[in-house]
Amino acid sequence: MFGRSNNTALALVLVCIMLVMSVSGCGPTEEPTQPPEPTEAAVQEPTQAPEPTQAPEATQAPEATQAPEPTQPPEPTEEPPMAEEISIVIAIPEDPAGFNGHVSDTGYEQLMMELVLVGLTDLDPEGNFFTELAAEIPTLENGGVVMDEEAWTMDVTWTLRDDVSWADGEPVTADDVIFTWNAISDPETGIWAEGVDYTDSIEKVDDYTFVVHYNTVYPNYRIQFGGENFAVWPEHYCDAEQGYVSWDCNRQPLSSGPFVLDEWEIGDHLSFSRNPNYYEEGKPHIDHVDVRIVPERAVIKTMMLAGDADVFMWLTAMEADDLLEAPSTDVSFSPTSRWVMRLIPNLAARGELDPVANPHPILSDVRVRQAIRMAIDVDSLMEEIFRGYSEPMWTEFFRPPYECDIPQPEYDPEGAKVLLDEAGWTDEDGDGIRECHGCLNAEEGYVMSMENMIYAEFGEELELAQQLVAEMLRGIGIDLELSIIEGTVLWADYESGGIEQQGDFDLNMWDDGYPGIDPTDHLWFYYYSSAAEPDYGWNVGRYMSEDFDALLDEAYVLDEEYRKDVFCQIAELLDQELPQILLWTVFDANGYSTRLEGIQSSVNDLVTWNVADWRIVEP
Amino acid sequence: MGRYIIRRMLQGIPMLFLLSVVLFTLVNITPGGPLAGHGRSRHVKPEKAEMLKRQFGLDQPMPLQYVIWLIGNDWMKVDADGDGLAESRGERRGILRGDFGFSFQTRQPVLDEIAQRLPNTIYLMSITLIVVAIIAIPIGVLSAVKQYSIFDIVATTFSFMGQAIPEFWLGMILILVFYAWLQNPITGEPLLPPGGMKSLDAGFNLWDRIQHLILPVTMGMVGWVAWYSRFLRSGMLDVVHQDYIRTARAKGLSERLVMYRHALKNALIPLVTIFALDLPYMFAGSLYVELIFSWPGMGRLYYQAATKRDYPMLMAVLIIASGVTVGANLMADIVYGLLDPRVRYD
Repeated sequence: MFGRSNNTALALVLVCIMLVMSVSGCGPTEEPTQPPEPTEAAVQEPTQAPEPTQAPEATQAPEATQAPEPTQPPEPTEEPPMAEEISIVIAIPEDPAGFNGHVSDTGYEQLMMELVLVGLTDLDPEGNFFTELAAEIPTLENGGVVMDEEAWTMDVTWTLRDDVSWADGEPVTADDVIFTWNAISDPETGIWAEGVDYTDSIEKVDDYTFVVHYNTVYPNYRIQFGGENFAVWPEHYCDAEQGYVSWDCNRQPLSSGPFVLDEWEIGDHLSFSRNPNYYEEGKPHIDHVDVRIVPERAVIKTMMLAGDADVFMWLTAMEADDLLEAPSTDVSFSPTSRWVMRLIPNLAARGELDPVANPHPILSDVRVRQAIRMAIDVDSLMEEIFRGYSEPMWTEFFRPPYECDIPQPEYDPEGAKVLLDEAGWTDEDGDGIRECHGCLNAEEGYVMSMENMIYAEFGEELELAQQLVAEMLRGIGIDLELSIIEGTVLWADYESGGIEQQGDFDLNMWDDGYPGIDPTDHLWFYYYSSAAEPDYGWNVGRYMSEDFDALLDEAYVLDEEYRKDVFCQIAELLDQELPQILLWTVFDANGYSTRLEGIQSSVNDLVTWNVADWRIVEP
Repeated sequence: MGRYIIRRMLQGIPMLFLLSVVLFTLVNITPGGPLAGHGRSRHVKPEKAEMLKRQFGLDQPMPLQYVIWLIGNDWMKVDADGDGLAESRGERRGILRGDFGFSFQTRQPVLDEIAQRLPNTIYLMSITLIVVAIIAIPIGVLSAVKQYSIFDIVATTFSFMGQAIPEFWLGMILILVFYAWLQNPITGEPLLPPGGMKSLDAGFNLWDRIQHLILPVTMGMVGWVAWYSRFLRSGMLDVVHQDYIRTARAKGLSERLVMYRHALKNALIPLVTIFALDLPYMFAGSLYVELIFSWPGMGRLYYQAATKRDYPMLMAVLIIASGVTVGANLMADIVYGLLDPRVRYD
């Protein structure tokens, strides 16, 4: 039935299929994303940008100032030759979801956003405000903020610079800001953003002025229209019908920032060229930025050392060591920290949500939490694992402007043992692990053994730290069973089986901190009593304190002196009650090629926050 | 045969339906969810999570989510703005009408994302398979023909090494040697690029494309060459002891003719089947190769979707891969019937 000729024909067909498949991949790649060509107006000479003023002292509450002084890149000794176009390569492990920091939070969206879009204000690495689109930052002093003490509301008037244009030449106006905010706050196609709950409405005064009406006093108003997530989007370009989270301009943005997106080949690279219409005169100094997608960090490091990549984000201690040793690379460390590694004790019994009715048999006793903190030698962890790049940290209030004088806890394992003895946890069977003998919330004989979870994405350093912490606690008679869990499981919502939301843990360890300079949201989500309700907040340790709640309620004011006083009272309360045991800061560092100048890591934004200031030392 | 093919295709429909139910359930009950934080913040703010749930359709019970995934929701009203009232008509059309939904991560249509990655994977995998065939078949045949010879021993040793060597490690070593250590003596540049499909601004340059293929194809083919050559060697050794080979020899045919005309053709029959069963890899890609060599293919797409619980993307990749697998199985059976006259499907 099937002769030789049929077999030959079949073989030929198979070969043809394979060849077609091969050729299908070889053909021209899909047309890359192309933003619109700038119009003639877009290449007009930009107008003079105002000179930045001196930034405030780091320890003071940030004043409303303009561009940042402390982190301003050093003035170059000579202008680089302009004959050859200058390109740099930033290597990141995955594609950004787009250019909208509100839609996804991998950090790469914000990295891209800084290249092409600007907001009204931003924060420098020291926590000082500086203006972008805003002419100045409104305050009570300059009349930009008007409070209604009786109604406890406020109005804020913003004035925009009138010399900023989109890449197509259209001016950036108040209409664009209002359009963006309306898109964000659309309940159907928008997204929750900082300030959305407190903003009643925005009213246009003229093309460059608008007033924000708040339904309460909102201290963090200065960064509501800026920072790492917010950018102003063009009303004439983005399609409001598509909605803020889905509109095409999230992936094909029209630039108002230093660079313009030229092409985006998914999974491979994004290419940008300098925006000739950028409002800061003479900037950016670099002609092209290529963002290469390189999933494997070891390959990025190899490319850095070989000179094929110029910026490598979020280094580990080992990577920082390697780049510091190499002659062609250097490392920029953020001058302040944001993320603090912490132990989260579950104060409720595992799987329970009420810490009063069902207290955790071990961790509900504050003396046990204090003993745990005393038994951990954070200094040695810093040296052995983080090579001195991270620092011990024991309070939420260590960043300007809210630095509180909370003394560093002493490493005292012997004192910890005494404390555990007093708490009714002793080792009577001689196996090295304590049992409950007269303890507060456990049955007699209950063994002092718990599970400790960390998240897998942090990597090897956290795994080592977890092991060392377990050894240290073992030294005082506490047994830890170690687990490594995916972040998507640990932090999922209640219905998706989120371990923390369901309270199904004993003692977790992960890092977090707050962006910008206002800790109120961070404190509310992690410590406020209402935030202990599943899927309503992240007080997953179920810490219930009326004192804390009352103090935090007091912090929603504009009086900086008063706020600092309140925050320092909170700091003392948290230090005594230890709903979380803070351990060390997670350092923020980015590697860069030494041919680049002006790189400055910032915990308040992505490393590209000042990309317009970057220069090439040796083109 | 025609009726057989039609029957098998019809049987494939309920199979794919059942698969879709199982896959949808597994994907959705896997611990974790798309609302967990990933980057700058460890947690998504609850208000934001609430909006995302609604926008992703996760506020519906799972059986209804499946129905919507299958046939869309343009027949029902949904609560799009979260006010508790279902007042607007849904916009999803369901996969039966070609709508695989949008990615939770990028908010782009899932099929668009796949269409951007799939050609890259087919390009890499098909070339890898061609190179595998070119290398593995001669090795397998020669190893069988010269059983226990030095060549056979060396080939066997390397085959075992090829199967045992960790793919990930091999890729890193290749980059270390051919990118970091060895240089082009003329240009002083690294001998081979560390990844990507082409150089930036290279346009379509055949030599540039070949250079970018060498390391990923090498990494991808090692295990397959080892597996295919061992399989072919074994098949050849089975065949050479068959009666018809003895008959061929008794007829006085040369050993070369006996081996290549009679033995090899029959030994290749199961290999073709294995090859057809490997065709789904052409769709799914190789995760490690794509990760190490920054290849923008399906493997990476799937990996990112899995780690971030991007359900629509996961389901699209899985259901299409299932379809390809079912199709490849059918193709294997058909090819087997075509090549082996003893197999009849009537």
